[in-house]
Amino acid sequence: MKRAAGAALVALATLLPTGCGSASPGLPGCGATERLGLIAQSVPSAGYLPCITALPVGWHSSGLLVESGRTQAELTSDRAAGHPVRVRLSAGCDPGPATALPPRSPGGRSYLLLSSIAPRYSGMLFDVFPGGCVTYRFDFARDRHIALMAELQSAVGLLARRQLRLELRRELGIELGP
Amino acid sequence: MATVAADPPGPGGAAIQGGRRRRPSGEPPPLPRPVAASTRWYLGALLATAVLEGCLAIHPLRRWITAADGRLLTGLARLRGDWSTPAFRALESLGSADSVRVLAWTTIAILLLARRFRHLLTYLAVLLVVVTGTSALAQWSGRMRPAAVAIVGPWHGYSHPAGPVTVLAAVSVGAVNTLIPSGAWRNRATALAAAAVAALAASRLVLGADHPSDTLAALGIGWALSVVAYRWITPDEVFAVRYRRGNAAHLDVTGRRGEAIRRALDQQLGIRAESVEPFGQAGSAGSTPLRIGIRHPDGRPGTLFAKLYALNHLRADRSYKLARMVRYGRLEDEKPFSTVRRLAEYEDHLLRLLRDARLPTPRPYGFVEITPEREYLVVMSFLEQAQELGSRPVTDTEIDGALRIVRQLWRAGVAHRDIKPSNVLLAGGRVWLIDVAFATVRPTPWRQAVDLANMMLTLALVGEPERIYHRALALFTPDDVAEAFAASRGVTVPSQLRGRLRRHGRDLMAEFRRLAPDRPPVAIQLWSLRRVAVTTGMLVAVLAGLAGIYAYTQVAGLL
Repeated sequence: MKRAAGAALVALATLLPTGCGSASPGLPGCGATERLGLIAQSVPSAGYLPCITALPVGWHSSGLLVESGRTQAELTSDRAAGHPVRVRLSAGCDPGPATALPPRSPGGRSYLLLSSIAPRYSGMLFDVFPGGCVTYRFDFARDRHIALMAELQSAVGLLARRQLRLELRRELGIELGP
Repeated sequence: MATVAADPPGPGGAAIQGGRRRRPSGEPPPLPRPVAASTRWYLGALLATAVLEGCLAIHPLRRWITAADGRLLTGLARLRGDWSTPAFRALESLGSADSVRVLAWTTIAILLLARRFRHLLTYLAVLLVVVTGTSALAQWSGRMRPAAVAIVGPWHGYSHPAGPVTVLAAVSVGAVNTLIPSGAWRNRATALAAAAVAALAASRLVLGADHPSDTLAALGIGWALSVVAYRWITPDEVFAVRYRRGNAAHLDVTGRRGEAIRRALDQQLGIRAESVEPFGQAGSAGSTPLRIGIRHPDGRPGTLFAKLYALNHLRADRSYKLARMVRYGRLEDEKPFSTVRRLAEYEDHLLRLLRDARLPTPRPYGFVEITPEREYLVVMSFLEQAQELGSRPVTDTEIDGALRIVRQLWRAGVAHRDIKPSNVLLAGGRVWLIDVAFATVRPTPWRQAVDLANMMLTLALVGEPERIYHRALALFTPDDVAEAFAASRGVTVPSQLRGRLRRHGRDLMAEFRRLAPDRPPVAIQLWSLRRVAVTTGMLVAVLAGLAGIYAYTQVAGLL
């Protein structure tokens, strides 16, 4: 029995990190067709889907959670350790008194809502489009925020649902609804 | 009248009847390691699951499988309706986190209460492997939910393999295989668990939450893998699930095993056994003691004694020695046996060695192989109408006989190491020494001295210490006795003898020390690098285990 106990402990020691560590997957790349298909299924009305275009140096994505009704993930820069950007796709959102920005998707609108400028630069970024909304909750140090905001917006792209539908049909013969 | 009808005739005698033969190559052993037909099916299912995963990794095949899944799901979606859809939604709750937690924690609680730690560890390990394996496979596969039909109800994460089905299957199989005794009840419980898992799988397919291929993979991992794991790690033949009182170390010797023992005795030792039954199990935890009924050609009945050793006894021996080393230190080279065969060989060798040294020990008849490397039976003569030495007052002749045994052990260069009332028997007017499995050849000198102390303490339970001491001086010098008690302390006294001494009331060890010449205590090795390392390792393992329990419950989804 001791041997079994030892084996179980070894198994625990070996396997626990895979479940608890930082190796959890993040937001898929814009070319990961079927993984993006799952995100599309989570919010069937969303006309655009968030995906990673190219992660800037020092950034990583983790904590992907996809379920019926929403998708969320985290993006973290090594210059903002402990303060990940929380990305969330849902069917709708209310930007409230947010300031309009140049739109990041055709037919969509983008907004910035700041809750603090100093000592930290924090708030939310909104990408609102037909049938859905992507929010980015950020909290950066004041002196680095300009570069980090630019990198965040370059890291996350928005893939049109109709383009994903074409890719899925061509690659896997899947008809993505609706 | 007490008789020793113990010894059937030796080789060439009446009980040896010529069935002895060599097992030809290719012929199975008396009790082949059973691999049930269903286990082969489960292994086949595991292989099929691996093939399915391989196919899903190849793009054209994945496309074809997805199309086939879609067609099946379209057909199943026709079962949806105003009354049936809510019913399927209700069935889907079988796989809810709450259902799984209730079943898993109930199983864990019962296993803890029943102190079946091997089953518990296996259960936890299987759950951990299934849950983490399923999660890793889901991430690797990255499969979206079915698109051919509208999904009814909530879902979570990637589609392949079907997570709720996998986990319910693993938890149910675990409960059935660790809690329910094999036989009719386990068959019924298996059918019930299969029905629950099938209901969950079917409801999720009708509701469009999983592809059919997701469900197949889930059954392969959650059900087939779990069953194979339990049958491999906790086989029923050795680690039977049972709730009746009794020592779990003792194996069932009826049915196939009983037949195998008879066949092995006949073919390997030429002994025709008429009956095989448990005997004296209360006093034995290191083997399954048996009484073998034989009949001589002239019609006289005879009896042999045998000890059945199996893997669980080997593991118990290892655990016992490890625990002893951590608790008391390395008293001497108590190296664990590497295989069951070695265990049987050692006891048979010691029986022969002591017989050659003319010690009054049971006569060895050799040992037989029941299942290669897993089960062996050591056969010896049976002491009829034997009584424990401590069961009645002893005569001077019996005291002398018992002390002479120690003198003979010294002369043979052997220490018995387990001298206690149940191992010193009176039968046929003689004193007998049994259970030589712990004996050591060329032991440390103090260990031989301790044999003398333990024999004198055993005798003193039913005789005055002064009388025992003076009888001992006929065979030993006062310095021998002084050394014996200078080397003795609680750890060197077998637990049965220690218990009897405690109940006796008098401090017999102190009385013997007063009678013998003064001698400073003999240092016995209590600490060694190995003990320090093993103790430290065990402490670290316990701490890591405690720290891991919380994380485990998170990973395995039990919280």
